[in-house]
Amino acid sequence: MADIDFDGVTKVYGDAHPAVDHLSLHIDDGEFMVLVGPSGCGKTTALRMLAGLEEISSGTLRIGGTVVNNTLPKDRDVAMVFQNYALYPHMSVAQNMGFALKIRGESKREIARKVDDAARILRLTEYLDRRPKALSGGQRQRVAMGRAIVRSPQAFLMDEPLSNLDAKLRVEMRSEIARIQRLLSVATVYVTHDQVEAMTMGDRVAVLRDGQLQQVATPQDIYDRPANEFVAGFMGSPPMNLVPCRLRPGHSRVEVLVADQSFEIPLGYADSHALPEAGADVVLGVRPEDVLIADATGANVLKVRVERVEALGSEALVHLAWGEGGAPVARDARPGSFIAKVGPRVTFSPGDVVSVQVSPEHVHFFDAGSGVSLRAGGR
Amino acid sequence: MTTLATPPHGPEVTPPEAPAGETPASDARRRPARVGRWVLFLVMVLIAIVMLYPFWVMIVTSLKSEAQFLSGGGFSWLSWKNLTATIPVGQEVLSSTIVCTASILIILAVGLPAGFAFAKLRFRASTVVFLIIVSAMMVPLQAILMPEFVNVTRLGLTGGYLGAIVVYAALGTPFSVFLFATYFRGVPDELIEAGIVDGLGYFGALWRLVVPIAIPAIATVTVLQFIQIWDDLLVGLLFIQNTSERPITVGLAVLAAGRTTSIPELMAGSLVSALPAMVVYLVFQRYLVKGLTMGIDR
Amino acid sequence: MAGFLFALPAIALVVGFIGVPIGQAVYYSFTEWNGLTSTWIGASAWTQAFHNSNLWTALQNNALLLLAVPFALGLPLLIAMLLHQRVVGWKIFRSIYFLPTAISWVVLGLVAERFFAYHGTLNSLIHAVGLSHVSTNMLGYESTALTALGITFVFTMIGTNTMLFLTGLATLDPSLEEAARIDGAGRWRIFRSITLPHLSRFIQLAFVMTVIALFSALFSLIFVMTGGGPGYATTTMEFLIYQTGFDQGAFGTAALYGIILFVLTAIVGVVQLRLIGSEE
Repeated sequence: MADIDFDGVTKVYGDAHPAVDHLSLHIDDGEFMVLVGPSGCGKTTALRMLAGLEEISSGTLRIGGTVVNNTLPKDRDVAMVFQNYALYPHMSVAQNMGFALKIRGESKREIARKVDDAARILRLTEYLDRRPKALSGGQRQRVAMGRAIVRSPQAFLMDEPLSNLDAKLRVEMRSEIARIQRLLSVATVYVTHDQVEAMTMGDRVAVLRDGQLQQVATPQDIYDRPANEFVAGFMGSPPMNLVPCRLRPGHSRVEVLVADQSFEIPLGYADSHALPEAGADVVLGVRPEDVLIADATGANVLKVRVERVEALGSEALVHLAWGEGGAPVARDARPGSFIAKVGPRVTFSPGDVVSVQVSPEHVHFFDAGSGVSLRAGGR
Repeated sequence: MTTLATPPHGPEVTPPEAPAGETPASDARRRPARVGRWVLFLVMVLIAIVMLYPFWVMIVTSLKSEAQFLSGGGFSWLSWKNLTATIPVGQEVLSSTIVCTASILIILAVGLPAGFAFAKLRFRASTVVFLIIVSAMMVPLQAILMPEFVNVTRLGLTGGYLGAIVVYAALGTPFSVFLFATYFRGVPDELIEAGIVDGLGYFGALWRLVVPIAIPAIATVTVLQFIQIWDDLLVGLLFIQNTSERPITVGLAVLAAGRTTSIPELMAGSLVSALPAMVVYLVFQRYLVKGLTMGIDR
Repeated sequence: MAGFLFALPAIALVVGFIGVPIGQAVYYSFTEWNGLTSTWIGASAWTQAFHNSNLWTALQNNALLLLAVPFALGLPLLIAMLLHQRVVGWKIFRSIYFLPTAISWVVLGLVAERFFAYHGTLNSLIHAVGLSHVSTNMLGYESTALTALGITFVFTMIGTNTMLFLTGLATLDPSLEEAARIDGAGRWRIFRSITLPHLSRFIQLAFVMTVIALFSALFSLIFVMTGGGPGYATTTMEFLIYQTGFDQGAFGTAALYGIILFVLTAIVGVVQLRLIGSEE
């Protein structure tokens, strides 16, 4: 068991834009680190460099303090779970799981013992003699896990291991993998594009985009304090509402101008952000659950029109749009679309003009140019 | 043909636009369909007779003596009894077997790693090299027959089986490389990578993962090459100088071209020579089809 | 690097026994060569060769045999369509139709000789339909020998090409045909607009394989059926190469003919490569 350290690791294919750009990331021994980002963000490349399946263009990669830049995969002692499981089709489940040990030259008895142990943890004991072809998707996934854990490796590397499963099984395996990882407490790097997996499984989450690390933090931190507009928009479903606005600081409050409407935030809340001077363009971020729909016509509300209501059973998503002065917008125009997540029993219907409030303690502001969060203290 | 071609699934299906009142018309349409099936079946029987004709000729002719063959009627085991005296069938079948086995082993031994390399371990200019090797499939031996013959003779390989074996191996390699490369491209990269993470080297990955998975492709190459080499004449004729080491196909062809051998005995020999390839073919038919259409059907 | 090492034995074998001889053939085509010593005679070797009527006869024979190609493709297409109807026992029929594919063309040539012989099956058939005064001996006459060879060639190609087309038909999504039927297409329309376009890649492949076989696989048939005769009536390029080299000992001229055959097949090969290339 060991820690993993990416130090300025870069991967360039040809002379194109780097797939991974100066990635510096430390994964503690026993930590579950999730690499998340849209496809092509470099997360899989980073994982493959860690496995030794891709060469490192520059930077230093350490496993357990040892530089492994030029170490062959077989000498890194890491185990990998592939997206399509990559089970050897001509071997039984037991042979699949024991293959690495066999190559390492362990005795038959030792292999059998370790395979049995792993099979018990994964509830695969009764399938040990089957071929992968005769297994269900979930069972195959567990065999792939088993192949990794029998080796008691320095680290587990998992490349979207759940993406080939159906929704129900995915939920089940999510907690299963988290459980096993905690049980074995081996440093784990888990690549996914699914933000739910990122939120629920990792000790910490690293968000990547275009090869660059955007933010590393605990899931809750990422959610509550996204470092930039991209992270804010990527994590959370539906994503955070992002609206261009203009600020007008006053004595005890800050006035936020959206289109030709405005609302105010007490300075106490606004102080948590390093707000720019008056009149500067910023981007306002509000999570859908922090948008409150009020019938009141009082102050500090925005008038918006209900475009569409999606009832999801336990809650409802209300798609909102604003036009000039709350006037209904043209039917096919899509100005500043805005989503509120509210309780399931809504009383309004499309076309209604409603007032919304945003909870001032939950607003985010981002620089309009760079997208970086204006929260005091940065990341 | 179109009148015979009944739709494969349910000729009963009435066209949706057919008016309900026209039952007699659709009945009339159905009857020819049934008659069509019968005509179709008869045509297929007829074709079967044509395709079986060679076997019929061989069997019937071989069951006559020379005299009966010339006069037309009769039945006799004489040609079969005399067969080994006229044609050294045993020795020739053995020669064919040796040449086939050795050539196929070489083809597999060079084709598997090369196919693996071209599919999974790209190297500099590998695409160009691959295309060159694949285009060698198109080079007929006759086009390079003279230099090939002189080279192999100078290497001293025409004395035994070796010359023919090497030439067959060289001629069969391009196809096997193409087929293996195509097959291995369908094997997910992750499988090889999983093996490498599990501690295998490239050679280990080839031997312990790729070869076991490639059994169907290996069967295809083996079957196609077996039939090709077993049935070939030119290479065996020229590259095996010692007449006592002739493969059976060559032995038959030379006797036939000489026009002095009893035809019933030739036919008996033909049957013997055809038998192994037919058995291989009947047992491994599906691999043959797969190989022929490799890379084009999906 | 490992990749190159893995490919090396195959590369060596192909270069050594196919690539190098191509180069040598080009060189020796400009020489007088008996297999041991060669004398450079330059371009006049080629002008002499083109003045040799045997070359033109062989080329003409090859060109005439191309007329067999439509039959070698059309009949299998028809048979494949019949098999595709899946009447009772179609799998048995399929096996029977493919069976001659396994037999050597030497053997098929022997049988064909029996078929066309004076006392052979063809004449029996002719007599059976009442034309007892007509007797043929197709292989014995310059005017008909090539036709007999062509017919035999068509027969030998039926199995392989039927196999190809049947595989092609099997990959045709039946719902396409059903959709066309719902759209009101008749059977001929479906065949022309759906089946044939779908088969085009298979037909292309079969065409290339058939033409290549025509240029380079007739040797066995000719060797046992006619020996190239009567006269030069059935001498094709490949057989001319063999005769020139091994009967006359003119290795240089035979090498030159080889180059011509190489160019002819290369033209077809380019078509094939483009076919493979379009798959990549």
